Amino acid sequence: MKTIVVGSLESSDCLITLQPNENTEINIESTVFAMYGEQIQKVLTDTLKAHNIENIHVLCQDKGALDYTIEARLITAIKRFKEAKDES
Amino acid sequence: MSRSYLFIPGDVPRMLQNLDVFDADAVIIDFEDSVADHNKDEARQLTAAFLKRYTFHRPKLYIRINSTDDLAHCKKDLASIKDLPIAGIVFPKMNVERLKILESLWAKPIDILGILETPDVFFEVLSLAKNPHVKGFLLGAEDLTKALNIDRSQDGKELLFARSQMIFAAASTNIEAIDTPFTDVLNEAGLIEDIKQATALGCTAKASIHPNHVAFINNAFTPSQEAIKASKRIIAKSEQTQSMRFSLDGKMIDKPVIERARKLLKRAKDYGVL
Repeated sequence: MKTIVVGSLESSDCLITLQPNENTEINIESTVFAMYGEQIQKVLTDTLKAHNIENIHVLCQDKGALDYTIEARLITAIKRFKEAKDES
Repeated sequence: MSRSYLFIPGDVPRMLQNLDVFDADAVIIDFEDSVADHNKDEARQLTAAFLKRYTFHRPKLYIRINSTDDLAHCKKDLASIKDLPIAGIVFPKMNVERLKILESLWAKPIDILGILETPDVFFEVLSLAKNPHVKGFLLGAEDLTKALNIDRSQDGKELLFARSQMIFAAASTNIEAIDTPFTDVLNEAGLIEDIKQATALGCTAKASIHPNHVAFINNAFTPSQEAIKASKRIIAKSEQTQSMRFSLDGKMIDKPVIERARKLLKRAKDYGVL
């Protein structure tokens, strides 16, 4: 199955990359990781849980995105991921 | 009433988060031309998340959905905006036929600013103006001139018919006539000239695609202190003489002039300059 990429590396945005994985794994790259890493992790984890998504690798390359952006980008990625899964 | 309508793309968080700092009276979040086909789902999701999280009293918010010609995206747009706190939708390529299709698609009626950008629509604007959901027209000169196979000129003479048709139809039912954006972004003199034509012909507002244009537009559509002073004198003399017909500074003043003065003072009050 193909990799899903949503968002951008522009300021106030984030780039979410999803790939199937043997377990659920989240990687975060952020210039503000020291201050907000925990919060970003929480948004990503909660969103995956809310959409019943497991066994996936999430890479979040953050450029200062607010919570709503991270959540929206991940939800779009999940929708595309599910569509791609249904097609394959 | 709004003076300025600023388009911003619906898939760019930086623009959404700043929508209240551009000083536009209204902001149009775009799902159509400024969003690439493969990003439209991102725009819908991001905009919905943003508007559910943050509330705004000003500017007024609109969403430009995709045309009914692009039925799949149009349907998804309507589904995604149905619970959002927006003033209405901006409807591309509006004509009588497309409006009927739109009305058959929506879950509940919503206020519409219809973009006039196809040649045929200028022969049915009056009928569209009478539709209770249509609250204004927005001239789309780029698509219109493309359809006519002509270039846009500095003096805008090629738009005279379209602007006039839009303005007359809008005035007949007291809805907004919003002028087309000026797309030569860095040409300040051209922008000022373009706004002058819109105000002289009777447009009630102007759209823009660049935040730097907003101040020019707001300024041009706000009554000047000179006009406010003159209107105040007309109203004062009318009240003082208890008459709807008198002479002031050698000019004949009658009912339409007095009513125009009242309308100008109301606009001045609405825009905070009175």
